[in-house]
Amino acid sequence: MSGPRYDRSKRQDQHLIGFECQACGWVSFPEEKRTCKRCGDAPAEMAEVQLAERGEIQTFVVQQYLPDDIETPQPVAIVDLPQEGEGEPARAYGLLTETDLEEIDVGTEVVARFRELFSDGERPINSFKFSVPREEKA
Amino acid sequence: MTDPHVVGAGMIDFGELYEQSFDDLLESAYLSLIENVDKGVDPSDIDAAWYGTIDIANEGSSGSAVAHATGLFETPITRVENACATGSDAFRNAAQAVKAGDAEVALVIGAEKMTDSTEGLIASAALERLWRGRGVTMPAYFGMRATRHLEEYETTREQIAEISVKNHENGTKYPHAHQQFECTVEDVKESPTVSYPLNLYDCCPVTDGACAVLVTSEERAREFTDDPIRVAGYGLASDTFQRGAPEALTNFPATRQASSQAYERAGLGPDDIDVAEVHDCFSITELITYEDLGFCEDGKGGQFVDEGRPHLDGDKPVNPSGGLLSKGHPIGATGVAQIAEIFEQLRGEAGDVQVDSPEVGLQHNIGIGRNATGAVSCVNILERP
Repeated sequence: MSGPRYDRSKRQDQHLIGFECQACGWVSFPEEKRTCKRCGDAPAEMAEVQLAERGEIQTFVVQQYLPDDIETPQPVAIVDLPQEGEGEPARAYGLLTETDLEEIDVGTEVVARFRELFSDGERPINSFKFSVPREEKA
Repeated sequence: MTDPHVVGAGMIDFGELYEQSFDDLLESAYLSLIENVDKGVDPSDIDAAWYGTIDIANEGSSGSAVAHATGLFETPITRVENACATGSDAFRNAAQAVKAGDAEVALVIGAEKMTDSTEGLIASAALERLWRGRGVTMPAYFGMRATRHLEEYETTREQIAEISVKNHENGTKYPHAHQQFECTVEDVKESPTVSYPLNLYDCCPVTDGACAVLVTSEERAREFTDDPIRVAGYGLASDTFQRGAPEALTNFPATRQASSQAYERAGLGPDDIDVAEVHDCFSITELITYEDLGFCEDGKGGQFVDEGRPHLDGDKPVNPSGGLLSKGHPIGATGVAQIAEIFEQLRGEAGDVQVDSPEVGLQHNIGIGRNATGAVSCVNILERP
């Protein structure tokens, strides 16, 4: 595919930045939005917020069948990433990496890791995956 | 304004129909409808058509594909695509046009050629849009609700599996169903893992199929049949877990919204529903749909199964046709086929899966788009006039 689609989203793909709706408090991550997905405010006043590196698994699955370029078994979760300051967490998909399947559960703490998500054939496309924090590994 | 009525339905046997092209499926379903209308229908009576497909076969199938398959040229034909709610939304659009008086005799036809291009589904997980569902398949999207439902409520793995057992048993009694076999809870639990916690028998098969129904006004309904079925209400809504609502981790707020709209239009509630065809693309989907449609309280979907209420002889029979799990899920055809099944049930023509004298029936789909970031639900309610 073309290059520009990644360049358009590069900043929030490479930084833990969320976009908080000033009307209702909803946090978008990593999409930079001018409309609010919760309250529908449009145009919405969105404020940049810094998200924490550590979040919590809300739910997950372990996939066995995926396109050939994605390794299996592939655990994927819905992760809540809190803000560094006050306010709601952001809720987003997270692919898990460098984690044993037995370590994964609802409520498990995970840390964001900057990793290659895929290659477009010419260059790696990098963003965040998640893993159980290393120091807590058995 | 008039009340739209369903006056005929035609369905083909679902299955792996390698010998039939996409066009063949459409033509067969259309002819089945034409032959099944009680008092007959002249093709020249049809003044508008809605065509549901997500075009998994990637044949660029637009409204003109239906004109080619049926001979209905010079007639407005609109293609509808709305994820797994495609067929039901095509029906909803036809019902709206008839209600408004803009169409008098509307064809709804849904078809999907699934077997020639299965990568059309799995490839959605290879989306190169960062964070927008890359690495998330359909079983994963629904499976995540299973993981959380098992964690948050007293739901058991066995209760989820029992839904597949029930629907496969029903499917063996329904002639159009693709997978004609029974299975046990143990079979479900021991079948290969597709996406933990869901196994193979928790998942609907890959199936080709097509179905057509005819919708007309109250004034003209008896030209076609002495036993028309009224469209009482419909609803359509979208939602996403990204909005942060806690119930979106276990359930589908889109179904709650779509069913609220349909109940309100119909002046009915969940207690009034005598039979339902709902979206069991996966076993867990049916369990949480009981809750989202208001058939039971949140978290009690498993208990609802244990009590036998959604079984063929229960007080709230769900998926007497065998559901998507047994019948198959040719996406554009699925919702239209569910309408056809409710139509048969309310007319007492459902054969070995007929439930006891239903007056009101509900049809439901919940779908996710080509990326797995959100859900869309469509609900239609039919009743004996």
